[in-house]
Amino acid sequence: MKGEGVAKGNAGLRALHPITRMRDWWADAPQWQRYTVYIALIVIALILPAPWIGSFMSPYSDWTNVLVYPIGTYILLAVGLNIVVGHAGMLDLGFVAFFAIGGYTLAYFGTKHGWTFWGTLVMGIVLAAVSGVILGAPTLRLRGDYLAIVTLGFGEIVRITANNTDEIGGARGITNIPHPSPILGMEFLLDAAPYYYLILGAIILVIIFSVRLTKSRVGRAWAAIREDEDAAELMGVPTFKFKLLAFAIGAMIGGLGGGIYASKAVFIQPETFPFILSATILAAVVLGGAGNLPGVILGAFVIGWLPERFRFLAEYRILAFGAVLVLMMAVRPEGLLPSRQRKAELHEGTGGMGTMGAEVPGPDSDSTAEVSQ
Amino acid sequence: MSALLELDNVTMRFGGVVALKEAKITINSGEIFALIGPNGAGKTTVFNVVTGVYAPTEGEVRFDGERIDGLKRFKVTKSGIARTFQNIRLFHNMSALENVMVGADAHHKTGAIGATLGLPWHRKEEKRGRELARELLDFVGISGRMDETAKNLPYGDQRRLEIARALATDPKLLLLDEPAAGMNPAEKVALQELIRKIRDDGRTVLLIEHDMSLVMHISDRVAVLDFGQLIAEGLPHEVQNNQKVIEAYLGVAEDAS
Repeated sequence: MKGEGVAKGNAGLRALHPITRMRDWWADAPQWQRYTVYIALIVIALILPAPWIGSFMSPYSDWTNVLVYPIGTYILLAVGLNIVVGHAGMLDLGFVAFFAIGGYTLAYFGTKHGWTFWGTLVMGIVLAAVSGVILGAPTLRLRGDYLAIVTLGFGEIVRITANNTDEIGGARGITNIPHPSPILGMEFLLDAAPYYYLILGAIILVIIFSVRLTKSRVGRAWAAIREDEDAAELMGVPTFKFKLLAFAIGAMIGGLGGGIYASKAVFIQPETFPFILSATILAAVVLGGAGNLPGVILGAFVIGWLPERFRFLAEYRILAFGAVLVLMMAVRPEGLLPSRQRKAELHEGTGGMGTMGAEVPGPDSDSTAEVSQ
Repeated sequence: MSALLELDNVTMRFGGVVALKEAKITINSGEIFALIGPNGAGKTTVFNVVTGVYAPTEGEVRFDGERIDGLKRFKVTKSGIARTFQNIRLFHNMSALENVMVGADAHHKTGAIGATLGLPWHRKEEKRGRELARELLDFVGISGRMDETAKNLPYGDQRRLEIARALATDPKLLLLDEPAAGMNPAEKVALQELIRKIRDDGRTVLLIEHDMSLVMHISDRVAVLDFGQLIAEGLPHEVQNNQKVIEAYLGVAEDAS
């Protein structure tokens, strides 16, 4: 992930830009080079909790804990939200709802019914997907801002419902959520390391899932919907079905994150799932570069890590964090590692909203497309 | 010749505006049928009614003997009707190949599970889609620009790409909305050839076009719309000499007898 330091390169020197060069190399890289990079990244991820890395990255709190939450959890959620926002192009402001549903499912069935971690985790994923479909079915006909408002409302409804339902602890929440049973000789107790490896495994699975989907017919359909929903439907794309699918898959990943988080935290309450968390994950997706998985992961890492690194600033750390966000968006509005396609869309006038009228060219749009007749 | 597409007394109203009034059009399979008329006559409305963008206020649309009015747009496409757009509506930031593959996907079935697990039928469909897309880009004559982003293609090539994308859905009926708009004379000649080739492949073509020489050269039959009403229909030279058509285009002469 080097290169973002030199991010201020100017557009005229595009060909020499280090990120562009790296991307071109990657596009032409043979299979074995790619796998070497994958393995190297996994090795780095495995040694990441090492104390000598922690002493630099997080001198004020336990580094492994920080890696599980916020960093790992944010990455997991951001990969899920990226499918909805980055690929299908739907603005979801209530993503935390699915995180909450996954967490509460695990907490409820684990404490009240004594279910095992794995059973409840699957249950949480299923329930999150079902709630995604229930929310999506009536609302996905809406586009843009309207959908954003509905999802915002959904996030609040879930939190407030939890707050007012005594069966799941009301405002007091649920305590004594069971830890996962040991796997591969790892005991899940108070030590954060096993959770780190658990969440790392989940992230890797979800990344594979996401990459395979986006490279298939499903991903093409999402891209087509994002670019021009009407044209996509007229080319035979069942747009509603694919939007619902994106929503449900995003929800499943949110639910997975919620389940892992709850078992690590042992205690959850409605206030664990505030709107600001939805906004933070969305910020991670946008800051990293919506639609581009490495960018999104980097974005989530930065968003999760910076407030911990700034802990020495005490109460000013959130202020510093906010200032860094503003600065980054001012310097690189398309994200740290933007997807080429999304970047181009952002620089166009009409974006992907599928206007039925004439195309309005934006400042950067290609002049060859606007030959007047 | 059998009727492929029938518009049976189709009326389309938008509030007080009647965009199409009791239109009766029959298109036979295997012909090139042109729809002409002044701007605002309702030509694109016909396309929108046929492709399911609008449900007609009154009347029926039948395709291959089945009613298609009120059907969802993607189902109309699957039933065998594909179109291009007057103001090009490609997926601008996808490559030319990907654009056509989206069209080819219309008949594919892979869902999330098949794609994630890389199941055999998914791979087969991907392979088929890619091959079909390559063939079609070759067919319309832009195979050299397969990997270019759609919006970076020259204007004429964008029009060709739209045709390739529509053909990828394997339509029986292809609707072309002003395909020659903005093309130079050489490109128009090539386009004529292309439309003929498409017909010779066993597809039916319905065409909206303002370029009269193109229309007169390639159409088997022509219908003329004016203010939402069908004012003439017939062979190209018949329509050309029809008094009503001349009036619609040129206005009524003071001393018209």
